Amino acid sequence: MLEILNSFQGLVNGFGIAFTLTNLAFALIGALLGTVVGILPGLGPSATIALLLPISFQIGSPVTSIIMMAGIFYGAMYGGSTTSILVNIPGEAASVVTCIDGYQMALKGRAGPALGIAAIGSFIAGTIGVIGLTFVAPPLAEFAIQFGPPEYFSLTLLGLMMATLLSGTSILKGLIMVALGLLLGAVGLDPISGEVRFTWGLLMLQEGIDFVTLAMGLFGIGEILYNLEKELTTELVTRKISHLWPTLIDWAESRWAVIRGSIIGFFIGILPGGGALISSLVSYGLEKRISKHPEAFGKGAIQGVAGPESANNSAASASFIPLLTLGIPGNPAIAMIFAALLIQGVQPGPFLISEHPDVFWGVVASMYIGNVMLLILNLPLVGIWVQLLRVPYAILAPVIVLFCCIGVYSIRNTVFDIWVMGVFGVIGYLFRKVDLEPGPLILAFVMGPILERALRQSLLISAGSPLIFFKRPIAGSLIGFLLLFILVQIIVTVRKR
Amino acid sequence: MGTFRHPGVGFLPFALSIILIALSLALIISRWKKETPSTPFWSRRSWLRPLLGVVILGLYALVIEKLGFPLTTLIFLLVWMGVIERIHWLKMVSISIGVTLVLYLIFGFFLEVPVPMGFFK
Repeated sequence: MLEILNSFQGLVNGFGIAFTLTNLAFALIGALLGTVVGILPGLGPSATIALLLPISFQIGSPVTSIIMMAGIFYGAMYGGSTTSILVNIPGEAASVVTCIDGYQMALKGRAGPALGIAAIGSFIAGTIGVIGLTFVAPPLAEFAIQFGPPEYFSLTLLGLMMATLLSGTSILKGLIMVALGLLLGAVGLDPISGEVRFTWGLLMLQEGIDFVTLAMGLFGIGEILYNLEKELTTELVTRKISHLWPTLIDWAESRWAVIRGSIIGFFIGILPGGGALISSLVSYGLEKRISKHPEAFGKGAIQGVAGPESANNSAASASFIPLLTLGIPGNPAIAMIFAALLIQGVQPGPFLISEHPDVFWGVVASMYIGNVMLLILNLPLVGIWVQLLRVPYAILAPVIVLFCCIGVYSIRNTVFDIWVMGVFGVIGYLFRKVDLEPGPLILAFVMGPILERALRQSLLISAGSPLIFFKRPIAGSLIGFLLLFILVQIIVTVRKR
Repeated sequence: MGTFRHPGVGFLPFALSIILIALSLALIISRWKKETPSTPFWSRRSWLRPLLGVVILGLYALVIEKLGFPLTTLIFLLVWMGVIERIHWLKMVSISIGVTLVLYLIFGFFLEVPVPMGFFK
């Protein structure tokens, strides 16, 4: 009971922080940017937040810059559906499923209700997700305070494995990406002894590979090079969008899909690697299975838009929980916010809520406000954003590349980093060609130092016995859960054959 | 590298390398017997545009400190749109000048990022 009261108290203080003029302004900027990058195909929230990392100091205090970056992340979930519905291209990865029925609705002249239910569902789900975040995060952080190095090792390992196995590509490929990410994270000075590793004698590599440089290369440049191959054209299915408010029948048909999507999204979003994409896929599958008219799916069923669009929004809010309570980022966009917190000198982890209550509650409160802003931006004003789709990719692509170059340059004022980014851009392009998902790599890169420090400290505590990970109750249960999870995956894979 | 008792600098990288080799072998073996995909890795000329993009990016990094940010950016946009995309020249020139001005205002002026100015100093 006391915990719930504390959460309310924190939330009230948070609203005090979020309602200052600066923070409201940056929440709005975040929501606007999020909507824009959500709508524009080929530029996702991860790359956008990465672009802003070098200038996060100029933006202002930790809470202000995180409010904006969070806004970009959940704002993109709103924007993504617009492109899916009108162009049949996902504006953002988590909106892939929305293409199926959303585009069909648009072809039948029902683009308005499709956009409307997507925005309303997103709003309801986003708010439910934030309410969950408000009340789940504090007790979870309290619990995690007792974690030592062995617990952290088990937890990060579990997080990484789940992120890999849930990321959608083959398990082997996912694991290879994790190993590569961990190795890249080892470049530079060793955190414990101070020796240099893998620098090839290059002084510029001593500080390690910068997170922003890696992320912009793999996500920004890699994506653009890949898109250059296939000449993206965005053709709108309709110019006229009317009847944005769903009719009573539409609402009756989709309200339970919204609620179910919200709940599914929240629980999948908490899991590392779960994130927005998986939750929307699961929601679509569920809606189709329990529908009385499964044959309508794929032909413009409104539930096929309402469920997944709700799920990805509540998952986006929920994925802040592992970041802010355990210090473990579960998806690439959250990994960017993890990096942003570090840049601002705020250590994500169980102590974040108690040591930086202003950051935690300020950001959480701003998410309630941001969802209201996004509902307004995406419902009455959707017509303005649709115009964005007329900007040809031919102009967009070089501008994004320039943004990446300046962003990377500004971190250390050296051209060397542009070269590094270019190299990772080519690697990212080749990854996409051979169907390797860069997400697990970036997560492993971020978690690598945590994982390694925890592993080596644990082995120092136990005098070299790996049994320490099994003997301690929490670490042991986490490892047990991990083994169980892997076992289930193997059984599923074998069954399929 | 160290031992289990005293794990050293090379401990994790070494373990990872072994895991990586094992995983890669497993991937190769698992794909060995499967048919090759029907779409070719690089269809005719599809590699050209990405390659041009990389080359232009490389040239940009090469000259930016000498020519300065505004001029290099303008040339970058002109070359990119002219070589890769072939847009009408009037549209291309006006967009390039506009974008360069906006980018310079955002980064050099508003955010005060110390962009290289070359001989414009």
